[in-house]
Amino acid sequence: MSAGATVTKGAAPAWAPPRTVVIPVLATLAALGVGVLLITATGTSVPDAIAGFWDGMVGSSFAIGASINRAVALALVGLGFILANRANLTNVGGEGQIAVGGIAATALALHGAAGLPRPLAVGVPLAAGAAAGALWGAVAGGLKVRRRTNEVISTLLLTFVGLLMVYWSVQSENLLRQPMTSAATLPESLELPAATKLPTVLRDPGSPLHIGAFIALAAALAVGLVLARSALGVRLRAVGLNELASRRAGIRDGRLVVLALTVAGALGGLAGAIMLQGELWILTSGFTSGYGFDGLVVGLLSRGSVVAVIAGALFFGFLRSGGLAMEITAGVPAAVVVLIQGLLVVTIAGTAILTDQGRPP
Amino acid sequence: MSPSAGSVLLKLDGLTKRFGAVTALDDVSLSIDAGEVHCLLGENGAGKSTLCNVVFGVHAPDAGQMHLEGRPFRPTGPADSLSAGVAMVHQHFSLVPTMTVVENLMLGRLDGVLKRRDFAARVRELGATYGLEVDPDRRVAELSVGERQRVEIIKCLIRDPRLLVLDEPTAVLPPEEVAALLAMCRRVAAAGRGVILVTHKLAEIARVADRTTVLRAGKVVESVTMKVADMRALVRAMVGRELVSIDRMVAVSLGMEAAGHAGPPPRPARPAPANVRTRRDDALMVDGVSYRDHGGALRLDRVTLIVKPGEIVGIAGVEGNGQSELAAIIAGLVCPTGGRIFVGGRELTRRSPGEVTAAGAGIIPEDRHAIGCIEEMTVAENLFLGALGRFTRFGLLRRRAMGEAAAALMHEFDVRGSGPGAPMKSLSGGNQQRAVLARELSLDPLVFLLAAQPTRGLDVGAVDAVYGRIFAARENGAGVLLISSELDELLAASDRIIVLYRGRIVGELPAEAGNREAIGSLMSGHAA
Repeated sequence: MSAGATVTKGAAPAWAPPRTVVIPVLATLAALGVGVLLITATGTSVPDAIAGFWDGMVGSSFAIGASINRAVALALVGLGFILANRANLTNVGGEGQIAVGGIAATALALHGAAGLPRPLAVGVPLAAGAAAGALWGAVAGGLKVRRRTNEVISTLLLTFVGLLMVYWSVQSENLLRQPMTSAATLPESLELPAATKLPTVLRDPGSPLHIGAFIALAAALAVGLVLARSALGVRLRAVGLNELASRRAGIRDGRLVVLALTVAGALGGLAGAIMLQGELWILTSGFTSGYGFDGLVVGLLSRGSVVAVIAGALFFGFLRSGGLAMEITAGVPAAVVVLIQGLLVVTIAGTAILTDQGRPP
Repeated sequence: MSPSAGSVLLKLDGLTKRFGAVTALDDVSLSIDAGEVHCLLGENGAGKSTLCNVVFGVHAPDAGQMHLEGRPFRPTGPADSLSAGVAMVHQHFSLVPTMTVVENLMLGRLDGVLKRRDFAARVRELGATYGLEVDPDRRVAELSVGERQRVEIIKCLIRDPRLLVLDEPTAVLPPEEVAALLAMCRRVAAAGRGVILVTHKLAEIARVADRTTVLRAGKVVESVTMKVADMRALVRAMVGRELVSIDRMVAVSLGMEAAGHAGPPPRPARPAPANVRTRRDDALMVDGVSYRDHGGALRLDRVTLIVKPGEIVGIAGVEGNGQSELAAIIAGLVCPTGGRIFVGGRELTRRSPGEVTAAGAGIIPEDRHAIGCIEEMTVAENLFLGALGRFTRFGLLRRRAMGEAAAALMHEFDVRGSGPGAPMKSLSGGNQQRAVLARELSLDPLVFLLAAQPTRGLDVGAVDAVYGRIFAARENGAGVLLISSELDELLAASDRIIVLYRGRIVGELPAEAGNREAIGSLMSGHAA
């Protein structure tokens, strides 16, 4: 009987640097190398592109603040993902949850919340965003428990519903569209009242860094505690590992599934509210611009670690800022930027497989 | 290329295999001849499965050599072993339930054109030759455990192996299918192949083995031809202690004697009434319970039975006659389509498993791996999964308190493992079952206990412990419903026996040795 014993093979020689360091570094360099080739192929000057990229990431206090703000949304979605994933649920609906969170936050900020005392003026729209996202997650959870609908499918399809609801909201004057003054008025909402905008953190007026960063850190702490230290975390893991045995042991698995997807949705909705109240200030069709899916990637790559979610979110946040700047200042096509991001994801994911060899599955 | 019977087929020389600090195989040397059934006997953890896995190429030995038909044999993996002519049936099956038998068999052989009809014909032919009847066009999900095992064996034989390794094949089988399996082993050997059969049932060895090798703690302690074998000596070699100290349940579980025959004095026939807590209500009442599965088949047909406090009621029946469904319904995992369930007078029909536990019903499920425990989690987590609230403060889990409570429970129930923080899967089957018992029997008050196949796949020491606990629960006034496919075990342990056949109760008899025949014929559907 091989009771729990595992076979380790292919141990590296003692002098070599650990594979866990070498392989990711090589992979990232390889992806960036391909990126440079692509940039060359588009005819842009490579030094210009790299300079733009660097400036966009860390070139100014604005760049750094904006990058961290971007990371906030990614981190919240990623945290929601790993929480639900502990119960073996795959929430791919971050994008839709951001969308409905953004709608709810905008609606509350424009209608009612602005007149409240300052903390509430900011807090109520945030809470509304989280609640809308929670509803989106709960629907997927309820469908899973009641009708055995795969949550991958339901969260994905609910994403399209959420995105189209944003479109509808900003198209209809009965909803959130600004009053039309001319035919040229873009379909978008009014700007959020100043009282509902998230306060910035630094005195430096050039830095857009807002308190969303602290909200994300608090969420990370909470999710980390739940997963590592709480009874709820153990129950989620039990349901994820073996639903039937968990049920037999007296765990209400259906309730947990709904709860996990609801919390994941709430974090997505909160991300949407923070995006609106933090930097965007105007609800536009397509404001989600892939944050939900990037957040999903962050969650996937983190393999359940809260610290890795934060690190991944920062990585992607800075990458997004750099890419945006490269596009604007050096004229590198947006598609190339996305392509490089994709390459990085693939290489990082591939790295995980390579560094995993020699570990038991 | 059939090797002549009697020639050495596989020779093992000084095989040693270590897993970390544990030496699973310690200088093992033995040989298997063509045309013989070679039994490997030993308790759980003795190294039987490891030996099989080394021969099958799953593990590479740390030291020692193997020779297959005189040539050095160093398999790099199962595929290598298969092509060298060594095939193995594992304890856990690897079949795709949604596919048919033929499709499953073709899975591993996706070379060239698939000829389903030829394959089906070959399956029938093999079935006829070796007594492995299976309908090639049925879906695996519809097959009984015994039939699935036959498919696994056919999967091996279809490759025309020289050596067939069977890792505890009888542990999952109902009694009447064991005989067929053993007969199959003899036929395979008669065709000039070698058979390695792992078991811990002595009766099976007596019926089928040419030679028996006893392993204990990774070492060969005895290797005898069956002509000269002394059963008692084999037991002594296997457990490492004298037979005198082995009680009757153990002897029965080893298949050394039929229940009710002469042996050590049986347990006290009835618990002293003073011990029984005064309880008005029945421990369990199943009132006209029916169950139709998703396919519409009637699995349970108006089953009514009562278990009184302080008695053990055995459920006899060939596997697949509704026992699993009855157990799942009582455990609250499945809703009956009709009828009602009461535990200690409380109605539990359509209640969740948590409420069943809260009513004082301990449940030992038949499938330890799928329902009894979560193997990836720690022993402590498994013990308190349903009672985490006891160790929670401000929403956070007090792991230390939980670990201490788990350690105390492990000590009380003799769960051996490296500690409460050890993963459940690092425990042997017997210790896993002890942990399940610890969780389910520590209910207070324990009104009722459902024990479904509680000793399946367990070694001697564990069988002893499991029945000791079940009897103790009865002495304390709990009613016990014991479901087992081992009739001898039921006869030895129960007060009365109810026979299930095709989802209906077809008879109820006192658990006396004299009723063995009658129960057997009821099980097979003949009216008594």
